Parts: sequence; C-alpha cells; structure tokens
Amino acid sequence: MHVQDLFKTATTGVTVNKGRSLLTMLGIIIGVGSVVLMTGVGKSMEGVILGQISILGPKSMALWPGNQGPEGGPSTARSDFDALSIDDIEALRSLTTITSIAPIIQMPGAARYGREEMTPSTVGSTPEFYQNQTLEVTAGRLHDQSDEEAARAVVVIGSDVVEELFFGGNPIGKRIDFGDRKFTVIGVLKPVGTQFFQNADNRMIIPFNTAQALKRRNYIDMVTFQAVDDFVVAQRDVESFLRQRHGIIPPADGSTENDDFLVRTAEQAADTLSTVSMGLTVFITMIAAVSLVVGGIGIMNIMLVAVTERTREIGLRKAVGARKRDILRQFLIESVYLTLIGGIIGVAGGLFFSYLIALVVHRVLDRYLFAVNPASIVMALFMAAGTGLLFGIYPAKRAAELSPMEALRYE
Amino acid sequence: MSSKGSSLIEAKKLCKSYFNEGLETPVLFDIDLTINSGEFVAIMGPSGSGKSTLMHILGFLDHFTSGSYLFHDEPVLRMNDDDLAKIRATRVSFVFQAFNLLPRTSVLENVLLPLLYHPTIAASERMDRAMKAIATVGLTDRAKYLSNQLSGGQKQRVAIARALVTEPEVIFADEPTGNLDSVSGRQVMEAVQQLHEHGHTIILVTHERTTAEHAERIIHIRDGRIQEDTKSFKRRLAKEASTLAK
Repeated sequence: MHVQDLFKTATTGVTVNKGRSLLTMLGIIIGVGSVVLMTGVGKSMEGVILGQISILGPKSMALWPGNQGPEGGPSTARSDFDALSIDDIEALRSLTTITSIAPIIQMPGAARYGREEMTPSTVGSTPEFYQNQTLEVTAGRLHDQSDEEAARAVVVIGSDVVEELFFGGNPIGKRIDFGDRKFTVIGVLKPVGTQFFQNADNRMIIPFNTAQALKRRNYIDMVTFQAVDDFVVAQRDVESFLRQRHGIIPPADGSTENDDFLVRTAEQAADTLSTVSMGLTVFITMIAAVSLVVGGIGIMNIMLVAVTERTREIGLRKAVGARKRDILRQFLIESVYLTLIGGIIGVAGGLFFSYLIALVVHRVLDRYLFAVNPASIVMALFMAAGTGLLFGIYPAKRAAELSPMEALRYE
Repeated sequence: MSSKGSSLIEAKKLCKSYFNEGLETPVLFDIDLTINSGEFVAIMGPSGSGKSTLMHILGFLDHFTSGSYLFHDEPVLRMNDDDLAKIRATRVSFVFQAFNLLPRTSVLENVLLPLLYHPTIAASERMDRAMKAIATVGLTDRAKYLSNQLSGGQKQRVAIARALVTEPEVIFADEPTGNLDSVSGRQVMEAVQQLHEHGHTIILVTHERTTAEHAERIIHIRDGRIQEDTKSFKRRLAKEASTLAK
C-alpha cells in the first residue's frame, strides 16, 4: 500500500466519526495546551526578571542578615535577624570596593491622611537608597543628608500612595500619620511598576535616622550598595570583612553556610528568582505532561474500541489483499493523527490563553509581555505524536494480528 | 489469467478442525478436489456441511489442519502470510453473502479498495479500472452513492464490481444471492455468469439448487465430506440444445 493511500485511509478513519475523534483528542489538547501555556508564561516571567536587572544595574548589590537572604521569610522570622548592626554598616564604609551604602529598616504599619488609610511598604533608609534603585521624583524632592542629620519627620511616597491617600491630588507639604507621628510629604516617586514581584509604587521612604529613632534598635533589615568596579571582588571583600568582624570561620569547601549574613548582586537575585520561576514552570509542565499520558490512555481505549468496531472492515481489507503491516500502519497512523491534530489544537489553545494572560497581567506587571517558547511547542507536538505512536501500538497490533476469516465472521 | 483447462486448485486429503479450549471440532474430512482454470463450480450442501469453510480454505482466508493444497502446482503450506496476502490481492477475490461493503463509503471507494493493496496496478490506472468495473455491473449512475443508500441487489453488484476490479483468476462467491429477493438474485447470478464467460474461474458456494444450476459442475458436500461431483444438468441441457441448434 502506498504511503499516500495509507494517510488517506487514516484520514477517513479519523474524520468518519468527528465528534468521537474530538472527544478522544481532548486529553491531548489539554495536555499540549497546558505545556505550551506554562512554558509561555515561564518565558514571559523570564522577561520580567531580566527587566529587574536593567532597573537596578548590574553593579547593585544587597546584604541581608542571616544566611538565607529574602528566601528566609520576613526579616524578623529569619535566623540571625539582628546579625547586622549599625556599627557593621558604619565599618563597611571603610571598604574601598563598595560605595553608596544604604542601610534599610523596614517599618510595617498603616499610614493615614484624614479619613483615608492604607498599609504601604515603608522603609527607613539613607539618600543612597534612591541612587541604588535609580529612583526619581515627579514632584517635590528626595530626602537628603540634612534630613538625615536632623532626623526630620519627612516622607517620600510612591504614586499608589498618592492615589490611595490623596486621590491623585498634590500631597506635597501634607502630613501623613504614621507610627504615632506625623510625616510631611516632601516628594512623589516616579512610577516604576513591579520590581521583583512587589509593587514598588506602594512604598514610603523616611530618613534612616528617623526610622532608627522610632524603632529604637541598632540592627538593620537589609543594606543596598554598589560595587565600585567588579561586583565579584566587592562581594568577596564584604564577605571576608564581615566574617572577620563576626569571628566566623568559613568551612573548608568555601561555602557560606557558617555566615550570619548574605551578599548578593542584582544579577544573583534575579538568577534566584529565575530558578524559582523555572522550577515552578517545570513542575506545572510535568503535571501537564501527566495529562498527556492520561490522554494517551484515552486514545488507546478508543483505538481498541475502533478495532473491535471495525473488525469486519479489517477482515475485508485482508480479504482483498492487505498485509499485516498495512493494517498495523493504518491504525498507527490513525492514532498518531488523532494525537497530532489534538496537539495542534492544543498549541493554538495554549498560545491563545498565553496571549490572554499576557494582556491581563501586563496591566499589573508592565514588563510582562506575551512570549512564545518555540522549543516547547516542538517538544509538545513530538510528545503528542509519540503518545499516539506509543498508545496506538497495542490496538494496531491487535488489528494486524486478526485472521481474515475470524475478522470477517465477527459480529 | 492462466490457460483454460490447466489445473488451478488441487486439494488432497484436506482436513480442517477447529480447536476451542483443547476441544477439537472436525469440519472437513479428506477432501480430494481438482478445479481447472476457467471452470464454474458450485459447492452445494446444507447449512453446517462445511462448504463455506472449504471455500475459505481454497480462497486463502483460512488455514487447513492437514492434507495438501496446490495452487497452480505450488504448495500453499509453504506460503507465508505475505505470500497469501499477495495472492488475495492479485489472483483471487470474493463475493460475500453479507456484501461486506465499507459503511459510510461511496460505491466508487468500495470498488477502489482492492486496488489500494494491489502491488502492480498503478495509482493512475485505478479510477479507470474502478469505473469500468462499476459499469460492468450497471451502476455507473450510482458511483457516488454511499453504500447504505443502495438496495440489497445493488450492494451485491457493487461487491461483484469490487471482486472483478483486479481481474483475478478466481472469484469465490459465498451464497451471493442468500440475502436477496428472487429478481435481484437472478440479476446477480447473470452478472456472475458473465464473469465466467469472460474467462474467470468461479467457485460458488450455495445451498440452493437453482443457484447451483448456473454452474457447469456441482460438488455436493455433506458432513464435511464430498458426496457427489457432477456436471450440472441444466447447463448440460443448455449446452446440448445449443449444439443441436448449430
């Protein structure tokens, strides 16, 4: 039998019962669709994460107390949450490989203006903070060294805070209630959207000395700084400096497990996020792949039913000269056809939903753009065809092995 | 087609048993039979006599248990599955009592079916051959009809067209009129008769004497054994009448 005849026969076999074929394909459609969708979402997230580096610049670095960094949970929940003292920070200023050191104290709590209330993400930090995060104002000014020295009750607020507390009106000079004190708004930050999955426009920044006076503590939650030249050199420098100050002896393998702090570059932070995001994508893709297997079992079931239903047809084909391999190929091609068509519909569906998600998420996360992962599409289609081939073998073999007479007599 | 009168089928001591869970059910016993090219043979017998089983063995659809079967002096026992499939594709064909047409498929596609498996007929020739075969059974105007839109007689004529489209040497017909009314049955037998006149060897299985009378030779089978192998009385009379007329 010619190849084109085989394909024609298989097409007839699949299209003769369209409704059933479509239902059979459903598992494959969902499986392939999910793989394409999840890998597409993963790719879009990758774009968002890479975008973070461009905001911060490759020389931006961060230092946390405890050796788990931000993955260790909220700052007070981390082990060694008080490991970095203000004295440590002052001492760090003696290093020549780093500059623009901005210690940060987190200040949880509600902010009020008149009857309006909200819970922004408030931090107390020095003016270097703005520099490290490339923050600018659209109105007013950023706080400066004189505000620090006088520990003034001033605040620079994000655009969302302006919306929530002042309904978009001019907040400069207005006084916000925060932590039993009144803070005068001196500046409004330029909107930056989401950074590292957090809404960066929902924040308030107060002078570090003011925050310290309010909190009355001598340890900090985080430090941002910049490498003067090479960030790898800077990282090593900070690590060895702090180990010496804290009397930490690193293990022989050079790991950081004995440290009570963690230094990271912006790139490393993005890498960590990338790894988490990729892990999630792989996990969900694997779940989606399971539905491909389930779909495959569905295909096998329907193909077995088809073989039983078409036993007389198989007998007739053998009676007019079909060889075992002709029947085997016919049913295998039908099975691969089902999964491949299902795969193509799944790819289209996956791309469609991926696009829809991008449309919605883009409103919240402006760096989230529709992205396609071509390798995953090719892989999903191969997986679909492979599923058809694998799960089609048994029914096709059963059909091919039928004796012509037995098949013709079948009722 | 091979020369008329040469030995086509030669069966010796052919036996067939079915085995089910170790239980043997013998169906055919020591069948000795020779059929020459161009003959029109009817195998006649009551239901359960083994006539259909014999036809299926002679038509390469079923295996025999013991004995020997030579097709054109070639022992069938030595043929593998592919050889048997090739013979079914090129040298023999079948007309079944239940028509066995592909459902939801047109007359033309049904007639084209054997050509898909024919190893030497080119794809470009198929359409002409199929249309010619359909014309032979007088169904040209029904070529695009689906098989389920046809009457029983028309379905059997499609089955005959399908049987002759590869121009086989032997056509096996298993109770071809069994599911038809008398008028359709007569038309079908006329078509079979024509095939014989065109040189095809016809082996017809029937339990009806009137149908068997179309053949030149009638082999009576009962309880799995050949009881009688005679020339058809009706055909003999017809032949003598035509000789006298000459």
